[in-house]
Amino acid sequence: MAQAALGAAGLHFDELNKLRVLEPAVAQQTAQLREECRAFLDKVVEFQKIVGSLIELVDQLAKAAESEKMKAIGARNLLKSIAKQREAQEQQLRALIAEKKMQLERYRIEYETLCKIEADQNEFIDQFIFQK
Amino acid sequence: MKWNLLTSETTRVVKLPDDIYPIDLHWFPRSIGGKKQSHAESFVLTSSDGKFHLISKSGRVEKSVEAHCGAVLAGRWNYEGTALVTVGEDGQVKIWSKSGMLRSTLAQQGTPVYSVAWGPDSEKVLYTSGKHLIIKPLQPNAKVLQWKAHDGLILKTDWNSVNDLILSAGEDCKYKVWDSYGRLLYSSQPYEYPITSVAWAADGELFAVGSFHTLRLCDKTGWSYALEKPNTGSIFNIAWSIDGTQLAGACGNGHVIFAHVVEQRWEWKNFEITLIKRRTMEVHNVVNDAVDLLEFRDRVIKASLNYGHLVVSTSLQCYVFSTKNWNTPLIFDLKEGTVSLILQAERHFLLVDGGGLYLYSYEGRLISSPKFPGMRTDILNAQTVSLSNDTLAVKDKADEKVIYIFEALSGKPLGDGKPLTHKTEIVEIALDQKGLTSERKIAFIDKNRDLYITSVKRFGKEQKIVKIGTMVQTLAWNDTSNILCGIQDTRFTVWYYPNTVYVDKDLLPKTLYEKDASEFSKNPQIVHFVGNQTTIRRADGSLIHLNISPYPTILHEYVSSSKWEDAVRLCRFVKDQTMWACLAAMAVANKDMATAEIAYASIGEIDKVQYINSIKDLPSKESRMAHILLFSGNTQEAETLLLQTGLIYQAIQVNINLYNWDRALELAVKHKTHVDTVLAYRQKFLEDFGKKETNKRFLQYAEGLEVDWNKIKAKIEMEIAKERERAAASPAVRASVTVQQ
Repeated sequence: MAQAALGAAGLHFDELNKLRVLEPAVAQQTAQLREECRAFLDKVVEFQKIVGSLIELVDQLAKAAESEKMKAIGARNLLKSIAKQREAQEQQLRALIAEKKMQLERYRIEYETLCKIEADQNEFIDQFIFQK
Repeated sequence: MKWNLLTSETTRVVKLPDDIYPIDLHWFPRSIGGKKQSHAESFVLTSSDGKFHLISKSGRVEKSVEAHCGAVLAGRWNYEGTALVTVGEDGQVKIWSKSGMLRSTLAQQGTPVYSVAWGPDSEKVLYTSGKHLIIKPLQPNAKVLQWKAHDGLILKTDWNSVNDLILSAGEDCKYKVWDSYGRLLYSSQPYEYPITSVAWAADGELFAVGSFHTLRLCDKTGWSYALEKPNTGSIFNIAWSIDGTQLAGACGNGHVIFAHVVEQRWEWKNFEITLIKRRTMEVHNVVNDAVDLLEFRDRVIKASLNYGHLVVSTSLQCYVFSTKNWNTPLIFDLKEGTVSLILQAERHFLLVDGGGLYLYSYEGRLISSPKFPGMRTDILNAQTVSLSNDTLAVKDKADEKVIYIFEALSGKPLGDGKPLTHKTEIVEIALDQKGLTSERKIAFIDKNRDLYITSVKRFGKEQKIVKIGTMVQTLAWNDTSNILCGIQDTRFTVWYYPNTVYVDKDLLPKTLYEKDASEFSKNPQIVHFVGNQTTIRRADGSLIHLNISPYPTILHEYVSSSKWEDAVRLCRFVKDQTMWACLAAMAVANKDMATAEIAYASIGEIDKVQYINSIKDLPSKESRMAHILLFSGNTQEAETLLLQTGLIYQAIQVNINLYNWDRALELAVKHKTHVDTVLAYRQKFLEDFGKKETNKRFLQYAEGLEVDWNKIKAKIEMEIAKERERAAASPAVRASVTVQQ
């Protein structure tokens, strides 16, 4: 009776006979809700952690991918330029070869004149011996 | 930034304000005589904001002058250091004084002037104008020389003070060599990239060419010694060190490249020497294949190998090696580091450096150091200085018609001290190497490429300068005998006995040896003439060896030791007209008439044989001498000789025989004898040719005289008898003459 009267006044007793403003059932539900909320929060934190590490991992992967990509581009460019480089090198070598060829030609002419001199001198010696 | 060439230290000289972008710099030239020493330590730096800056060696900016609108592209001191020329993007060429005051604006044009250079005498300025090169004298109304030099923009020019040649480089990828009249001497083939820089070495023997990734070393005739492909980008500017062994280039990628000239090569007889490193030489004896290495303390600057000695100058010392012993050189210290020229003769050698000429013996003793007024040693080269055992000849730079001749042993000017002067500018000189000092000859080529020969010793009056060749490109004397060789037009010519011109001019063509030289192409140079082998360098750089007959050398030897019988025997053995002609000339020159007679007979000069015979019949020594002189064409001397010895009649007769009537009469009247003789001969001559007397003097003297041939003949007989008597009075002299004959 008293309980009902109190209930009407919005006051209740719980199991431990403490005076409460809320209904016991509601209080219980509230507590339960709180518990659930906590559990949920925990789970969310855990999830966040997991996701964080995931993001980190993905980032790392992205970085690696990016660097690989750069490397690939570099390599591709290098490949492209190597053809040009070779061309330039070839040109340089060609120029050097032309230079050497000219030098060779000079030496050849010198050699020829020296041969001529040798022939002349041999002829002279022969003539000399013959006349003696 | 500056670099010390000796220690390779790098020190930063000046930190320029950030807004200045330097384009070009040029050191103040070393002043002559050292009187402007304080200035010699500064340089000019031009920059992109239209200013140039005079900066001292310590890095202090002494003066900044607003010069052009737009960048100042080049600045150059003249050779005396008295003026500065700058050129800019605004197309102006301006001359500035030493202290940076504007003197004049030399030229103004619509296109930027990329490069500028001074002429050797500092009186002309060479600058670029698009595809054209322009030479403009400083005098305002003098003629301007302008020519189209390249198909593309000209980027760089340089003008060498020693050989007076101009270099230009353009965007048409070619470099070209010009002479100072704008004639093309060499044009390179087009290369892959524009040529961005050219620079002469100070001695004018070499130049460097810079291009994209390319550095090339070329000879003054244009062909290239070496090519390097350094990874530098374009080489924008090249500067040589003053001794001409190192060069520095400013590169497009911000580096400075340094290069040394190595692999230089010298050859003499059986020795071949190569500079393999900066401080190391390799001597290769071809005969026994022996190889020696010569190590030096410092950089080798110049070397010369000749007459059995190798002379090497490094930056501090001079080494003299004998080819017999490579291990113990003779070493002495040099006063000044930069030897620009070494010349050798058989007994001594000449070093030329910035301060003077020094003559040393092979024992390292200083013999002399000749000097003359206005001497500039920095521009002497092998073409303008010549050395023989007793004489040194130097061409004057201020007046190119003048040659100074010095006695080698004393360093004093020869004879009366007056230099040898010629009508036109002289290009190349050479002294002969052998023979007596009194017969020393100098051969030279003038601006018209005519070859002249003259005697170095002059007794009182001017010696004749005799022309013996035209269109001569180059010449050289033999090292062992007085044989001269040269390239005459397209023929290789050897003058076996150049002295012939003084003896018997008609004989000269017979003493020549000629050979077609068209295979040598354009502008060949004789490198040396050793023994009977000549080495010639063609315009493309290849060496050509030629040998000449060894007989003339032997003949020279016989004659110099007066072995006339041997000489005649040699000529009989060789059976060559040239040899006989040489022998004839030599015999006459040495007054050996017997040999001369044989030689002339062999070459079929009957008239001369007859004359020689008539000379032999002459009664006295003096008249024989006079007739030998006459034979060589020295009428004047013959007459003087006869007059000196009192043989007046003979002198008159000589003039009559030469139909030199005026002179004969003059002599006769002066000495009051034989006036009638002269008149008689004159009359006879006129009658023979059916002419009348027109000469007033003859008419005047003929009036009072009756020509009586008998009397004249008697008089002549008397004269001859008188001469015989005189000759008999000095039997000792006669005897020696007969022996000689």
